[in-house]
Amino acid sequence: MAKRYDVIIIGGGHNGLVTAAYLARAGKQVLVLERRPRVGGAAVTEEIFPGFKFSMFSYVVSLLRPEIIRDLDLPRHGLHILPLESTVTPMENGDYLAAWSDHDDTRRELYRHSPRDAEAYDEYGRLMHFMAQAVKPILGMVPPDPTSFAPGDLAALLRLGKHFRGLGAERLHALVKLMTMSSADFLDEWFETDVLKATKSASGIIGTFLGPRSPGTAYVLLHHYMGELDGVFRAWGFAKGGTGAVSESIASAARAFGAEIRCDAGVTKVLVRGERATGVVLEDGTEIPASTVVSSLDPRRTFLQLVDARHLPSEFVADITRFKFRGSSGKVNIALAGLPTFTCMPDGAGGKLHRGAVSISPSMEYVERAYDDAKYGEFSRRPYMDIVFPSVIDPGMAPPGKHVMSIFVQYAPYRLNGGWTDAKREAFGDAVVNTVESFAPGFKSLILHRQVITPVDIERITGLSEGNIFAGELALQQLFFLRPAPGWAKFATPLRGYYQAGSGTHPGGGIMGASGRLAALRILKDSA
Amino acid sequence: MSASSPYNAIVIGAGANGLVAAHYLARAGKRVLVVEQHQTPDLSADIGWVPPRIIRDLDLSDLRIEAPDPWITIPLAGGGTLELARDVARSAEAIRRVSPTDAAKWPDFCARMRALATVLERLYLVPPPDIETRDPRELARIAGLGFYVRRLGKQTVIDLARILPMSIAELLDDWFESDALKGALGALGIWHLKQGPRSGGTAFNFLHHHVGSPAGVFRPARSNITEVLARKSGVEIRRGAHATVVAKNGRAIGVVVDPGGESILAPVVVSSAPPRATLQPVAIELDPEFARAVGNIRARAIVARGTLAAEQQPAYWNLCIAPSLEYLERAYDDAKYGKDSAAPYVELQRTNGRLEVHVQYVPSGDHSDLVPRVARALDIEAQRLRLEPATESLYHEELTLDQILFMRPVPGWSRYRMPIEGLYLCGSGTHPGGGIPGAAGRNAAREIV
Repeated sequence: MAKRYDVIIIGGGHNGLVTAAYLARAGKQVLVLERRPRVGGAAVTEEIFPGFKFSMFSYVVSLLRPEIIRDLDLPRHGLHILPLESTVTPMENGDYLAAWSDHDDTRRELYRHSPRDAEAYDEYGRLMHFMAQAVKPILGMVPPDPTSFAPGDLAALLRLGKHFRGLGAERLHALVKLMTMSSADFLDEWFETDVLKATKSASGIIGTFLGPRSPGTAYVLLHHYMGELDGVFRAWGFAKGGTGAVSESIASAARAFGAEIRCDAGVTKVLVRGERATGVVLEDGTEIPASTVVSSLDPRRTFLQLVDARHLPSEFVADITRFKFRGSSGKVNIALAGLPTFTCMPDGAGGKLHRGAVSISPSMEYVERAYDDAKYGEFSRRPYMDIVFPSVIDPGMAPPGKHVMSIFVQYAPYRLNGGWTDAKREAFGDAVVNTVESFAPGFKSLILHRQVITPVDIERITGLSEGNIFAGELALQQLFFLRPAPGWAKFATPLRGYYQAGSGTHPGGGIMGASGRLAALRILKDSA
Repeated sequence: MSASSPYNAIVIGAGANGLVAAHYLARAGKRVLVVEQHQTPDLSADIGWVPPRIIRDLDLSDLRIEAPDPWITIPLAGGGTLELARDVARSAEAIRRVSPTDAAKWPDFCARMRALATVLERLYLVPPPDIETRDPRELARIAGLGFYVRRLGKQTVIDLARILPMSIAELLDDWFESDALKGALGALGIWHLKQGPRSGGTAFNFLHHHVGSPAGVFRPARSNITEVLARKSGVEIRRGAHATVVAKNGRAIGVVVDPGGESILAPVVVSSAPPRATLQPVAIELDPEFARAVGNIRARAIVARGTLAAEQQPAYWNLCIAPSLEYLERAYDDAKYGKDSAAPYVELQRTNGRLEVHVQYVPSGDHSDLVPRVARALDIEAQRLRLEPATESLYHEELTLDQILFMRPVPGWSRYRMPIEGLYLCGSGTHPGGGIPGAAGRNAAREIV
């Protein structure tokens, strides 16, 4: 007789692994099933070219919840974060804007562009810090259902109302602005330096199909700000060994608690008997029973592919069908013979430049026009890019003297006019390389290998629908009690015994793990 | 209070909001002077829902509200037109010719939008909820509003949360397939807004402009409200004089009028002019944080209005040139970079013997190509067209989600009362905003009284 599992978790991405670890810690018999040969989902490290290792998709860490790091004792399981210290934005006129790890250096640099902005910068930082603190409790909270009259929901809504009122008028207003404005409009209220606004606003567009002038992007700005001050990580950083090491450390913690993790084990179907989930079917036809099944895949695959629609209310199916993905970002991973030299900073500030990020966001108009291309179904001819050189900080990622370069690129729409083909993919890669070349002449001659990843590739490899890196857009109408569907934002699903734990649930997005943790807590509560 | 002043209150601006505020104040026994910079009322501004409550309270029995039928005529790409009638079933019949699936969804769409507009109507006739309050009466009022919304049913609560932050393109794409239909409906979502149909919050703008209209009519009604109010006795109106608020030691003492420079004193000054224009002359009296918030108000110009000389009475009431959502989005792209739309959204409205033109997007800047472009969109000779680009948002403050309810005109000061004692705002820049003539004026007057 085969081993009997309490819980089967579909998908070994970081959220699935977090769920597994928490459930195993509570004494459950847990089995994680991962389709690919390795765990991690979109947080994987792969040796794409011999000797060159890449964080293939997700490449920086900062949002991972500190309580998860504590609860699972991740440093003991190999998690080690190396700080990413600075951001340099080359400008079209040969100048640059830099934000250094040293606060005074940053202020001096800003002062060079605008004394007024240098003054505003600290106040802005304080406000964002505070707002992120104010929103953080919500990340660790199960969203109440405002349409329900259950005492638990009413009490939670009241608590929420009290929490927000406790912020005080000024901050409450700032929160409303952050939830509703475009990052461009929000930043216009603070700063006058165009390149500063462009670089800041870029974090408001990541993973969205929106431009910096589109309302809703100020929230994504805040979402990304939350990682920058967690106390545990001083700032954005790399995991030593790539983001795959984050997944490996969670997997190791889960195993230590007794969870079983099986790779090369894709699930095709959730078994349903008597209107409840009773197990899963693998690609090879094997059936594995379990009293609880958890999907950490995105909502589309969780509800429209793994489960037959007849087991779900039609209204719910309609809501999930409407859930927006619209992947908009690509990734170019490059193996380098040496580090490129940027025109704006030929000495690389004594090596500081390559230890940090290089942001290709020279002006607001540049970023907005990049969006315009995508809006009408083309990849950006001159895209926004976030470039890092992980091997500079973590030499183990590349052979001695050589380097790896990771370029996050936006926009590359999933639905490209005429569809993505090999030729289109290479043309997209060329647009990326040529744009970098225009800021760093000679860069092309350093390229040993390149891997170009489009949203279609992200979908094919990781399974993320439409290649959306957040497993569903982080738009206001897809957040909190609406993520992924009204009435079903509490990790349970309309199918008894079936739960959801991926980034497509609250709070979603980034290597955060909050969804996975909340799902586990919900399952434990229901089975108690 | 100044003993020498014959007035209890001075109202700046004789538009619908200023006059409604003035008449409500007069009704409460105040002696009111209205100062208006223009000699004649701007009739083209009388677009939008006049709340029945105002008609009743002020006894505006000769108010004429237009109800064009069909309410819109949409030229189709392949020739012919799509005409939407006030009757939902007849509209559905017309839509069937362009898309049977859209026709099938039309009645349900109209009902869902109507339910949401009803919620807004309720919110618009009272001051915005004061979410910071500790006053038990206000808390009870907010709870009452919450309870009212929840009683409307689960679907409405979910729709409110989901739809308000959405883009109008997303909303319409959820429902319909016909470009012509989506273009004409989508145009209402960007009405007076420097946003494209794919920008979040435009679904709210669409619903905002649906208030007061029957189900299935998605254009605000025209009326002769300003004219009716101007004729009504009870308040004194001085025309051709531009008034500026005068404040001393943190309180408003009256206005100074130009030309002439005469000071008129009154203990209460109520301005229906744009918030920034009203407050900037008294900036020295304001707290710097408040002044900064006033400086941050977004009220960018985006519309040109005008008239078309008609050779003969046209066959339509309201002609809409917005062939698709993409057409609107591309028109917006030009405006993003500070240029007039190369192919603009144009609407013609026949009213009272004249043809009015609404054009978007027309940001501030060079307008030398505007008239020929609009003429091309309408396929008419340019000489017949007279256009006036606005220099600021005609709604005094853009209706974006961060500038409505308790955030309008500036966060935390939505109760019409300004931080200068005796100074009130009552124009489109206050809750509930433009396109609802008189509502802000009534709410403000009730706060003052």
